[in-house]
Amino acid sequence: MRYLALACLCLAAAACGGDFSNDDLEFLNALPRREDLAAELPAASEGRSGGGLTTRKDKLLVNLGELSQVAGDTDESGHEFNTAVDGLLSLLEHIRNAPPTSREPDRRVWGPFKDQEHPGFDVRFVMERQELRFDYRLEYRRTGEGDGDWWAFLVGSFEADAGIRKGVGALYLDVKRAEQEGFPTGGLFLLDRLDIEYQTKALPTRVELAFTPRGGLTAPTRYTYREAAGGLGEMKFLIPDIDLVLGGRLEDVELTTRWAPDGRGMGVLEVLDGDITGAKYTECWNALGRVTFIARSWDFFNPTEGDRKSCPDFSALDE
Amino acid sequence: MSPLASFRALSVALALVATAAHADAVRRFALVAGNDEGGSDTRPLRFARDDARKMHSLLVRLGGVSPGDAKLLLDEDSRDFLAALADLEARARAAQARGERTALLVYYSGHAKDGSLRLGDSRLPFEDLKRRLASAPADIRIAILDSCRSGALTRTKGARKAPAFEIESGAARDARGLVILTSSAADEDSQESDALRGSYFSHHLASGLLGDADRSGDGRVTLFEAYSHAYARTVADTAASTAGAQHPTFSYDLAGNGDLVLTDLRASGEGLLVPGAAPPGTYYFVDPGGMVVAELDKTEDVERRVALAPGTYRVKRRLPDRLRIGEVQVARGRQVVLEEARLRDAPFSDDPVKGAARDGGAWWTLGFSGGVQSFFDGPTRDTLFLSVGLLGLEAQLHDYFRRDWVWGVDVAAGGKQAVLALPTLAGPAYRYSVTSLGTTLTSEWPRGSVAPFVGARMAYLVMRRDFDDEVFPDQKFAMFSPGLVAGVRWKPLPRLHVTGRARAHYLQYTVDEQRSLGYWELGALLTYQP
Repeated sequence: MRYLALACLCLAAAACGGDFSNDDLEFLNALPRREDLAAELPAASEGRSGGGLTTRKDKLLVNLGELSQVAGDTDESGHEFNTAVDGLLSLLEHIRNAPPTSREPDRRVWGPFKDQEHPGFDVRFVMERQELRFDYRLEYRRTGEGDGDWWAFLVGSFEADAGIRKGVGALYLDVKRAEQEGFPTGGLFLLDRLDIEYQTKALPTRVELAFTPRGGLTAPTRYTYREAAGGLGEMKFLIPDIDLVLGGRLEDVELTTRWAPDGRGMGVLEVLDGDITGAKYTECWNALGRVTFIARSWDFFNPTEGDRKSCPDFSALDE
Repeated sequence: MSPLASFRALSVALALVATAAHADAVRRFALVAGNDEGGSDTRPLRFARDDARKMHSLLVRLGGVSPGDAKLLLDEDSRDFLAALADLEARARAAQARGERTALLVYYSGHAKDGSLRLGDSRLPFEDLKRRLASAPADIRIAILDSCRSGALTRTKGARKAPAFEIESGAARDARGLVILTSSAADEDSQESDALRGSYFSHHLASGLLGDADRSGDGRVTLFEAYSHAYARTVADTAASTAGAQHPTFSYDLAGNGDLVLTDLRASGEGLLVPGAAPPGTYYFVDPGGMVVAELDKTEDVERRVALAPGTYRVKRRLPDRLRIGEVQVARGRQVVLEEARLRDAPFSDDPVKGAARDGGAWWTLGFSGGVQSFFDGPTRDTLFLSVGLLGLEAQLHDYFRRDWVWGVDVAAGGKQAVLALPTLAGPAYRYSVTSLGTTLTSEWPRGSVAPFVGARMAYLVMRRDFDDEVFPDQKFAMFSPGLVAGVRWKPLPRLHVTGRARAHYLQYTVDEQRSLGYWELGALLTYQP
């Protein structure tokens, strides 16, 4: 009888507690998700042909009615952008699926755990809050090391503005530090660092991705994605050293593409350096990705082709 | 002494206790005490306090005792008893000094053992009480003791296992002295009855004082009418019990004669008149709680009165093959005539006397509950544990562990749709739900068909938050929660109970931090008594 009572007490004690926490929800809300940061590409882009972003060597000899090379570039870069975002955010997915290991009023810690994917390393995730600001770190150390040996592979922050993941945030992967610590970085070994900055509190939202190459031999490559009401999207990125027009020099161009949910779009290519520095090329395409309008600022005799009215209204993206 | 000689002696003694014609001139004081507890070596009684309440009410309403001169002690110890007695003695002494005739009546229902009254853990030796009463400054002192072996108090002098006795009326000289009535002999236990919801002796004494003992039909019940009635009915009712027949006793030490009127059936103006033409037989008067408050043994062509308090009563007369039952409403200050035509035939299964109580005490109910739960702390009820309505089932076991104790088990659930609104997170929709398992132990104080109660409850609460958006994890919290409960149970129909209640609970929240929270519940319960 005494053992039965003891067993009942133990059972009752074990049945108490839980994870019913407002603070947990606020901490989780500070972590970005893929749908917050990924580029919302037009549905029609799937299967549409186009050239690679960094290998494009065409000379803008496209004609009306042909498949738009710029549209293809947009899709390609959009997918690459999303792949990079996915890779970074996948590190945070495990955190979402488990309750914190320890809770303090303005601090949550998950772990430490043994990292199953990287044997020999312990991993933990630390979040801290100061009023509306949340800081978080994904930290590693070699198994057996002490508390002072944790180093951060992923570092982020979020300034909340109420709503569901509405606010301003930034996070980066410190690939260089990981390499120094002997931590396997997989396909990231060509980088020193991968940065994301974003704001989701007001339209148009903005996500900026920066790849810092290993050793700082070249300038970081930046992709900026913005999204406005109505599913309008914009991607802006720099393409160095392409042979855009006949001449002795290669061009550095900035490509800004905008698209509507139905697949129509517009690309604006500005030559920052090269044979026709300052020149501007504009191209619009329909839902099938075929060119409907072309404008070349440097072509004196035939500056435009097609109907400009065929271009969608993207004024919501004009700041 | 032969039985005949005893009778004669008793008759002479009774003749000395006379004050009938002067009843109104006597200033009456009453100390009424009831105690269910008798110390660790006794089993708690179930009805001693109720007996005391009934007797107190009866003496104030019909016995000529003004409310200010009556003291009711429930579960008090011997020190309180003696203090109350001293207070009444002081008042009686002052009244005597003013030239008033006085009477002091002491009634006790409770345990007695080893020569002492047992008032809880305290004791009051019989001899001390007897000496105290013998010297009390009142012209007439009457002690009525309803307790086991209380006959020991009368054994030393004048004790009799007395049957009914003759009364000499019309005496001229006022009585002075001490009368002691006890419910049982020195070697007998005093027995309680679940069916009567009281002790046999006190029930029949009270029933007699309400009119059943008025054998003379003059509308007044004297001490000896009441005693002889209680004696006869107690012996008859207990004769077949496993404990054996219980014999009340009396003791007298009186001078003077006359007849001391204990109750005047016309004093309150209200009551029930059973006309002489009504069929003879035993009538039972049952309150809405199913309890027999009075009985009346009516003979052919004799008009009888029962001084029932204002209220609604069911009347039962038992025939060999059926019951005759009906309902009477006694209004304040009005005399109601019982009309035979208003009674109807009914099978024995429709006996208005509460069956469960007659069968041995415990009874149970099953029913539905509805209510609302809300936390005291504003931010908590706005963003964490929301205010919700609850629906549930509840079963209750009455009078099992102890009379008027109710043990209940309940389950309830409730929930609502809500939208989260936190400082850095607003907008996620979710469903909040609560499930509650509880067990409650309450103590009731029945007052007719209404029974107020208080008690303690232990609940096991499970709260859930299920988000519509899978991005946010569903959350749960479970915890035991002690609390208090109070309310009122009302019995509008013989098998139906309606309960209104309030609960206050403590809840320890342990997730974000250790936080003490409290919540309240208001609810109603509709139960059926099978």
